[in-house]
Amino acid sequence: MNWGLFWDLTVSGVTLGSVYALIALGYSMVYGILKLLNFAHGDVYMIGAFVGYFALQGLGGALHPSAAAWIVVTLMFIAGMLGGGMLGVVIERFAYRPLRNAPRIAPLISALGVSFFLQNSALLLFGASFRDYGTFDLIGAKTYHFGNVYLSVPQVLTIVSSLALMVVLTVLVARTRIGKAMRATSFDREAASMMGIDVDRVIASTFFIGSALAGAAGVMFGLVFGQIYHFMGFLAGLKGFTAAVIGGIGSIPGAMLGGLLVGLAESYATGYLPQGSTFQNLYVFALLILIILIRPSGILGKADVKKV
Amino acid sequence: MADEPGASPMDAPDQPRIGVDEWVASVEGKREGYEGLTGRLQRMWDTLPVGGRLLVFAVPAAIFPLVTTEGNVFRYGLITLIYALLALGLNVVVGFAGLLDLGYIAFFGFGAYMYGILASGHSGHHWPAEFAIPVVILAGAALGLLLGLPSRRLLGDYLAIVTLFFGQAFVVFVNNANRINFPFVGHVDLTGGANGLDNIDPLDLFGWKVTSTREYYFFTLGAFVLVMMLLYFVNESRTGRAWRALREDPLAAEVMSMPVNRLKLLAFVFGAATAAFAGTIYGAVQTGAFPGDFDVGLLITIYAIVILGGAGSLAGIVVGAIVVNGVPELLRDPNQAEWVFYVAVAVVLFARLRPWPRLAGVVAGTIGLGFALHAIADAAWPRLTDGKSGGEGALAHAVESWVLLPSRPTQIANFAFVILIGALLALTLLKDVWRTVALVPTVYLAVFVWENLLIQQTAGATRFILLGALLVVLMNARPQGLFGTARVEIV
Amino acid sequence: MRRRRATAVAAVLALGAALAIVAAASATVNRAASPQVVASADTAQISCGKTRTFGLLAPITGPAASLGKLQVDWVRYYVAGYNRTHKKGKLRIQMGDTVLGGPGGTAEAVKAVQSFGGNVLGVVGPAGSNEVRATTASLKNAGFAFVSGSATNTELTTDGTRTGFFFRTVPPDSAQSTSVANFISKKLKFKRVYIIDDQEAYSTGLADAVQAKLRSAGVSVSRDGVSQQQSDFSSLIAKIPRDTQLVYIPWQLPPKGKAFGEQMRSAGKGNIVLMGSDGLFADDFASLNGVYASSFPTSGKHPIVRAFKKSHGGDAEFFGAPSYVAAQVVGGAIERACKDGKATRGEVRAQVRRTNLKKTVLGLNVRYNAQGDIAGGQFGIWKSNGTTFTPVG
Repeated sequence: MNWGLFWDLTVSGVTLGSVYALIALGYSMVYGILKLLNFAHGDVYMIGAFVGYFALQGLGGALHPSAAAWIVVTLMFIAGMLGGGMLGVVIERFAYRPLRNAPRIAPLISALGVSFFLQNSALLLFGASFRDYGTFDLIGAKTYHFGNVYLSVPQVLTIVSSLALMVVLTVLVARTRIGKAMRATSFDREAASMMGIDVDRVIASTFFIGSALAGAAGVMFGLVFGQIYHFMGFLAGLKGFTAAVIGGIGSIPGAMLGGLLVGLAESYATGYLPQGSTFQNLYVFALLILIILIRPSGILGKADVKKV
Repeated sequence: MADEPGASPMDAPDQPRIGVDEWVASVEGKREGYEGLTGRLQRMWDTLPVGGRLLVFAVPAAIFPLVTTEGNVFRYGLITLIYALLALGLNVVVGFAGLLDLGYIAFFGFGAYMYGILASGHSGHHWPAEFAIPVVILAGAALGLLLGLPSRRLLGDYLAIVTLFFGQAFVVFVNNANRINFPFVGHVDLTGGANGLDNIDPLDLFGWKVTSTREYYFFTLGAFVLVMMLLYFVNESRTGRAWRALREDPLAAEVMSMPVNRLKLLAFVFGAATAAFAGTIYGAVQTGAFPGDFDVGLLITIYAIVILGGAGSLAGIVVGAIVVNGVPELLRDPNQAEWVFYVAVAVVLFARLRPWPRLAGVVAGTIGLGFALHAIADAAWPRLTDGKSGGEGALAHAVESWVLLPSRPTQIANFAFVILIGALLALTLLKDVWRTVALVPTVYLAVFVWENLLIQQTAGATRFILLGALLVVLMNARPQGLFGTARVEIV
Repeated sequence: MRRRRATAVAAVLALGAALAIVAAASATVNRAASPQVVASADTAQISCGKTRTFGLLAPITGPAASLGKLQVDWVRYYVAGYNRTHKKGKLRIQMGDTVLGGPGGTAEAVKAVQSFGGNVLGVVGPAGSNEVRATTASLKNAGFAFVSGSATNTELTTDGTRTGFFFRTVPPDSAQSTSVANFISKKLKFKRVYIIDDQEAYSTGLADAVQAKLRSAGVSVSRDGVSQQQSDFSSLIAKIPRDTQLVYIPWQLPPKGKAFGEQMRSAGKGNIVLMGSDGLFADDFASLNGVYASSFPTSGKHPIVRAFKKSHGGDAEFFGAPSYVAAQVVGGAIERACKDGKATRGEVRAQVRRTNLKKTVLGLNVRYNAQGDIAGGQFGIWKSNGTTFTPVG
């Protein structure tokens, strides 16, 4: 066995998986609470990446940053998360809230409209060209290695910061008042509102948190892979959705696990299977179907028992 | 009860209607149905017999190509019809049976490729259409059955994922099938790979060679009416009622001893066959089948048509297809887009603003504000009025003396665009007088953004921005779709 | 349970029966397709007047919008320059957005063609080879000459379906693959090459051609593909053997090529030579020191390129340069056809065929052979010094 290849693939899979996991979290949280597939989520991620980019430009650009690199990166993350989060709240308020009691498929089309709108507005405002984060100039091209395992700085950054975000999220959901309210609302919205929980506020905060994570994912993507552009949200959204379903849609730890699995599956498929990168998406979907057939509600999802 | 406004045109009044609570629906109907012009139109629509409803679409559709150019027949007519035909099939799966099928476009692609294999310069076969079409439809149906078999136990989002995989697999397959060695036959270039299958024959039906756009239009119109009638009768039959029961509550349907699995398969088969047929026409029209044509983007478009029109409604599909295909096309030409924009603004103002004095105030206020700002800017900062409208024609020139046109608009216009979105959203939160007052600068800001930014990209981003906004607004205004039935969940 | 099986069996039997009947029937009625007839649009007189219109088919929106922008920029630049010197008979562009890779598929390109008014005399574009295939029938029906600045698929000119209508200002894949394969096998004398296509028509066609030519020259070639929409190449890079001498990526999005190169470097495989095609011949990709790219023999010192760079923030946007020449071809043909104040699309086509441009921005003289390719068009190989490309063969 070629261990060098194995570790390379694992590192790249985990990196990509962290990005997917953050996107999947947003999908899953929104689904858990509203039973809505938020198709515009991928575009929130795209806008987050652009906000991060403009924050970087505002701080002097990658070549001449006006502060130490780690401060600049932190500020970019904060900007991307705030931008994404606020966008998410606005989308929820104007595109989904009026449809709260409509047939389940109506918000889906509304989400589609938002997605068209955001994508093409980005094209109009930011132009069609790719924008370059210039990570190497900002952080340097240093690579760490532990034996066979090679890790670049942006990779470490991505893995560590997404882990941190997930820990924060888990604590938030498990320990805080708003987390409790979110769990209650996702369990039974009507009962929650009868218990005096302000459901509108809880849903808005869910959107804020989920979209902020997508914004962070966008900034990470920019840092690791360099280029961002108006159409980048589409594929990422699809992958995030897949990850959410694999993990069990509606489940927060499931989304994290699903993201990692999709990232690793993509990576191993590319490395080990015949025509791997060509058929990459097929292999990932095949894994998905296998998992669904074995566990119809995802790995960590709860089976939906319907009482009549 | 005969002119129950909330009821779908497909539900005959004397039959049991599933999922509609009579009382709630009638209250809803009273609230939104009988007022003003729209109410009168709705009443007329409801009293029309089914044949009459069909004629309302078919007659203008048949006249359309006789009064316009070949180019318009293609852009507004033929493509709309093909989309509508596709949407008919998807409507069976999603609208009638309530199955979320995300692999639907693969059947469309399958139809185009299959026809291309049966009749093209690429494959060397040249089957006439009267043989090729039935074969393609049957093969499409068989493929639908194949996909349906493993999916029959899955529901909802999981069915969606499995079918999405099928759609992706199809695209990857046709993209690489020129390099695959098949068992027994060896290397066959079936699909042309990334280059696609080209030189597909025009349809050749009993010696009638369909070549011009108009001929294709009439052929597709005929096909559409046929399929629509067929589906109407299926929907009115036992099977149709069973589908609706399945859609509303699969569990209850099963308890009522309906053959749930067989119903699902049947819906898949109907949908797949329709899509394969539409694909055949598309392949012949495009004289080729290319892998990129059958991707998720088109699937989303067709979903938008079905849901916009009102899932389950056949009439809604036609309207949905016209909106989704027609709006971006209307905006393609800047001169035309200029008119569309101002007429749309005027129509919205006239339709939504009551009473009349308020409307007059807003219009006069906007015009006055424009001239005032223009005069001030002209005197103080002439650079703000130096620019030219991106549009062409008389209207654009008239506008130049009213709206601010900076000589270097890019930055200002970008900011104005973002502010405009904010202003429009804020407008929905304001009440009464404040809303009217705020409307004046908002309308002017919209015109400013339009003239300085959006109009330059009417052939590009702008039309999709507006389509996106339109989808959100329409869904907010009528969540059940334009022709859908308002449904109330009873817990 | 038995019922369901019965349904399935019935369906399969019906399908089999239908297939058998039709197969039998087709043996006798395999009617041949008739070629498309050119309509009267071809000979309709169009008054030239003060402004003459030509259509531009380019991906203005959609996933390939970054490429469309370069083409639009260059064509606009040509028209602006032309109109400064031709006050009497100005040129006007009618935009046609083909939304390459967008939801509407190739039908969107046909719609763009159909949106051209009766005053349009000729067409620049379309950009993609499959778009050329899909629009051929409608462009031919309308009698247009269509001159593409980026559709390089070899068969477009050799299969004979669009001779006399379709022209291009870039040499085809066959020319490019020959230059590339010769350079790799004879100049660099490499033995182990890894080719990665981006799953689009342009890329797979070129990759196939280079692969075939390298193999027949005795080079061992591995082949892979990765979707154009992908941005993460790390696992693909991990798979490339360390003893590979050269990775060839015939892609069309320079930023993706740059990302690939950077990811190769951060994976510790920066020592493997990276080579792109003409689609990657851009400043973005050139920012990787030492990479190769093939291109038409243009030069950054050409006065027009320098002037263009100056007015576009220092970026030469080379991918769009062939569209400049395409506009030059169409604009020149329109001017000649309009000598008598009137022109037909047929006349414009004839004039395009007679194009004779010396020292274009591409570094080639443009004269057309009977098939619609540039006579003697060839590719050069360039190497980057970290900022720009310089010719090496």
